[in-house]
Amino acid sequence: MSLQENRIFKAVIKEPWPYTTGAILLAVLNIALFAISNAPWGVTTAFSYWGGWLAKTFGIPVEQWFYFAEPHRQALKLSFFTHSGTLMNLGIIVGALLAALAASQFKLKKIKSVAQVIAAICGGLLMGYGARLAFGCNIGALFSGVASSSLHGWLFMVFMFVGAWIGSKLLVKYFM
Amino acid sequence: MAEYRLDCLGEACPVPLLKTQKKLAELKVGDVLVVEIDHSCAMKNVPEWARKEGHPVEIEEVGDGEWEVYIEKAK
Amino acid sequence: MEIQQARETAVRRTPKKRKNQLPIAIIVLILVIVLAVVFGQISSGLAVAWIFGVAFGVVLQKSRFCFTAAFRDPILTGGTSLSKAVLTAISIALAGFAVIQLFALQSGKGVPGAVNPVGIHVAIGATMFGIGAVISGGCASGTLMRFGEGFMMQWLSLAFFVVGSLWGAHDFGWWQQAVISASPKIHLPSLLGWPAALILQFAVLGGLFFLADWWGKKRNQA
Repeated sequence: MSLQENRIFKAVIKEPWPYTTGAILLAVLNIALFAISNAPWGVTTAFSYWGGWLAKTFGIPVEQWFYFAEPHRQALKLSFFTHSGTLMNLGIIVGALLAALAASQFKLKKIKSVAQVIAAICGGLLMGYGARLAFGCNIGALFSGVASSSLHGWLFMVFMFVGAWIGSKLLVKYFM
Repeated sequence: MAEYRLDCLGEACPVPLLKTQKKLAELKVGDVLVVEIDHSCAMKNVPEWARKEGHPVEIEEVGDGEWEVYIEKAK
Repeated sequence: MEIQQARETAVRRTPKKRKNQLPIAIIVLILVIVLAVVFGQISSGLAVAWIFGVAFGVVLQKSRFCFTAAFRDPILTGGTSLSKAVLTAISIALAGFAVIQLFALQSGKGVPGAVNPVGIHVAIGATMFGIGAVISGGCASGTLMRFGEGFMMQWLSLAFFVVGSLWGAHDFGWWQQAVISASPKIHLPSLLGWPAALILQFAVLGGLFFLADWWGKKRNQA
């Protein structure tokens, strides 16, 4: 019997896991991360640092912005490989790559249409700006925010639903 | 008893499922719809939806990260 | 049966060369471990972040977890299994986080965790985020996970995610003056007391779970 036919290999590596398994593991990982590092899981703050570092190398005076002068004044002292949030995000990319490769299901998927290009650009900009305003994304504000018993997490949940509703209408009308 | 193919390669969620729902509604009972997908999330949510609706479903992995989902319209 | 016939003819019609990608996966795994050691030399915090990131990525990909779909699918396709999964994840994390916060409070520290100002800026930001996540096919974690899976569309949306973040950082001072400075950080247990806050939050999460379950069944009968 080859490895590919092995029952455990199939269930763990090859086939997708049930959503509930994912839910439990993500919750346990988030709790463990919070216990070890004293900060729960977040994704998007690192993106603003990437933007800040990049802008700085192009000579944009980001250190004068309130964001990098006050609440995130440590950001500009860090770099790509000395910022834990950055490494965590890179880890997510590599982890997903690893899981897809192990199942022999990795495939480069090219952009199919102009509509996809527009959707990716607009969607990226909206998420980036929105996450700065809302103090986090689905992870930092919703998952970790609600779990931290923060009211802003609950408000995020309500308006994420509003946004998803508007986005769904736009998707069906323009991007399908 | 015809066979129809639906090309959803390169489409991101939820487009493959929406197209499948729309296409399947047009078919007659007994027809088979073959949905071609390469979105790893769609290979889970398309079969899940079809099974919940009561249609027999089979999945075939036809390439690296490419699947064909066979849905036989049951009602 | 029809479906078997269709399947067999299709498989014969489309013989594709399949590669075993497992050896590449093993190389990537070795790289992950080597990098963990390298980052550990700089600081243990970096190694922890790296290892947790990889673990999050593996779990997200294997379970096809999608926070965006939890909000989008009930509206678009009638599916609610991911909505229920997200509510489950939040509920478990809420219990664990409460224990961590209680321990911190006992030892006289402030409340740790993602407790941030609540106000109109969150409503506007979350709405923008929701629209963006649905049209680009994934939120922040989803974009990273699909980046790793080889979706070039998400490579592009990540690039503009960074641009949008920078834009938000640029305008942050204005928002701070206009809204955020007047917005309180509200930690529900500090406001309502622990028992009331936890009961309330678990009740709402449970209520939403049953609502999602009912909606999923209702949409299926239609």
